Amino acid sequence: MNTLMRVIAYAVIIFIAAPLVIVVPMSLSTASSLQFPPPGYWLGYYASYFSDPGWLRPTWNSIVIASATTVLTMILVVPAAFALVRHKFWGKGVANLMLMMPMAVPHIVMAVGYYSVFGQMRLVHTHLGVILAHTCLSVPITFLVLSANLKGFDRTLERAARSLGASPLQTFGHVTLPILRPGLLISALFAFIQSFDETVVAIFISGRDAETLPRKMFDSIRQEADPVIAVISSLLFLIVAIALIAPHVVSALRGRFTTKGQEKALIAQ
Amino acid sequence: MSSYLSLKGINKSYGDFVALDDVNLEIKKGEFVTFLGPSGSGKTTTLMIIAGFEKATRGEVEIEGLSLAGLDPQDRNIGIVFQNYALFPHKSAVENVYFPLQMRKVKRKEGMRRAEEMLELVGLKGFSHRHPKELSGGQQQRVALARALVFGPDLLLLDEPLGALDKNLREQMQIEIKRIQKKLGVTTIFVTHDQTEAMSMSDRIVIFSQGSIQQADAPLEIYHRPKTQFVADFIGESNLLAGKVVDAASGILSSPVLGDCTYSGDHQPAVENGQDVTIVLRPENLTISRDPIEGRMNGRMKIETIVNYGDNALVIGLSGGVPIRVRVLGADVVILSEGDECCFSWDEDAIFLVAE
Repeated sequence: MNTLMRVIAYAVIIFIAAPLVIVVPMSLSTASSLQFPPPGYWLGYYASYFSDPGWLRPTWNSIVIASATTVLTMILVVPAAFALVRHKFWGKGVANLMLMMPMAVPHIVMAVGYYSVFGQMRLVHTHLGVILAHTCLSVPITFLVLSANLKGFDRTLERAARSLGASPLQTFGHVTLPILRPGLLISALFAFIQSFDETVVAIFISGRDAETLPRKMFDSIRQEADPVIAVISSLLFLIVAIALIAPHVVSALRGRFTTKGQEKALIAQ
Repeated sequence: MSSYLSLKGINKSYGDFVALDDVNLEIKKGEFVTFLGPSGSGKTTTLMIIAGFEKATRGEVEIEGLSLAGLDPQDRNIGIVFQNYALFPHKSAVENVYFPLQMRKVKRKEGMRRAEEMLELVGLKGFSHRHPKELSGGQQQRVALARALVFGPDLLLLDEPLGALDKNLREQMQIEIKRIQKKLGVTTIFVTHDQTEAMSMSDRIVIFSQGSIQQADAPLEIYHRPKTQFVADFIGESNLLAGKVVDAASGILSSPVLGDCTYSGDHQPAVENGQDVTIVLRPENLTISRDPIEGRMNGRMKIETIVNYGDNALVIGLSGGVPIRVRVLGADVVILSEGDECCFSWDEDAIFLVAE
């Protein structure tokens, strides 16, 4: 049993890690198209990524669209989560279902829908169109993450704040918001990633003007298999890795700092 | 008695369910009052109405004659210690204590100094920069107490604050809370379902059952002169036996189990001849012997069960089909065994009557 578990575990690790192991060397490759193993190594494709407007423009588009999507999603989801978690009202079940719908409907169906409706509204090939579509797709996951956080929130803390002299608004600012901050950040991150990563709807409606990075990569791999794709993949992987490790490093540093402070306080006694 | 806090005819219902039924209570300034009762008896609901988190369906809460109706919780100046302490996890101990001062626009420097002083008073000097999760249960309790007291509240409410602590710590905190309350002289309402806690800490105990106050008296008064059958049963251990008053003037009653017997007339409720009463006999006021004891009243019973607690034991016997509980000293229990026939006896002033 133990051995079997081990084998499965390693298989899973290899399965997940293999693309990374292949992509990073390919990004450093001298070959003129995607090729593994690489014939030689250089940084030329990194240079061409950072100097080619054909790549930088979609990157910028993606950042703008993902950021706007995140803001819009949070504006919609935060009040919705508070209302649905904390209050009982008529039609609550339906509201819950509606929020989850975009998750259940296949993206390709949504994409076709957006293509025809946004076409009539002249929103195809615009940033706004993609932002609206991505917001709709981001809502379910963001709502799930946030409402889970909100359900775990101890409301006695709010009562305590009120009894200590805080108005409802002060209670929200001094107690509710700071305690929910990690949950809010994570759900916002999910919204951002959902948009940044989204390909199907982007292919249908982003067009040339609002072209996103995944769409550009998809086009590129179809036409020429440009090794810059491997560069972008490696860079994205690097960003994610830093984002995952950074909080641990920060808290480890902070932990060392505070224990030292406490020791001093104890000695001072 | 000049009253400080008054509850006047408080009713609370949720739909058809009546949670509080005409609760009236007067509390003096500086008094330590305990609300005692089983869960669901209305004690916490009453507390939440005083705090302003629940609205009474009818009735008024007044402090020094001024109604609290229309005041939001944040404007009532009432300190509350919650059951789970409700410390803000993102703030250190001293920041938690500073919070109510911050809300009252006290300058940070001055406020932090007062918060530190209050932490010192509750015995937490040197812990001010720890976060709640770095403190033990007892320490969190002290922070919560400091936070509820630092702004000089008109009233301190404690909602089962010791429930989560282990026995030794609980006793220690009982003494601490009492000490701090006395030192600051703050009027305090303490909610608990633990009667030893209520007995040891309170100036007065208010007993709740099914949404109404059964009795509000000093602890020993409650113990020795229960006004209702519920109180007699709920506080301490008792033998509750049915009886009928034969002669109220000379203190004679008859009971199927005890037979005809006399009771001392002091401190008994007003009863009439022929009235049905409940006779309360505390187990510690009964004595077990082989033969009837002269000068005392005696009954006979057959011992069913002996429960040993080390320094004392509870002997449960049957007399005329009714269980009788007797508390005996540990040394005396060795001569007894289950199945024995024996006598139990009591003094006439051991009998308390409850007329209901």
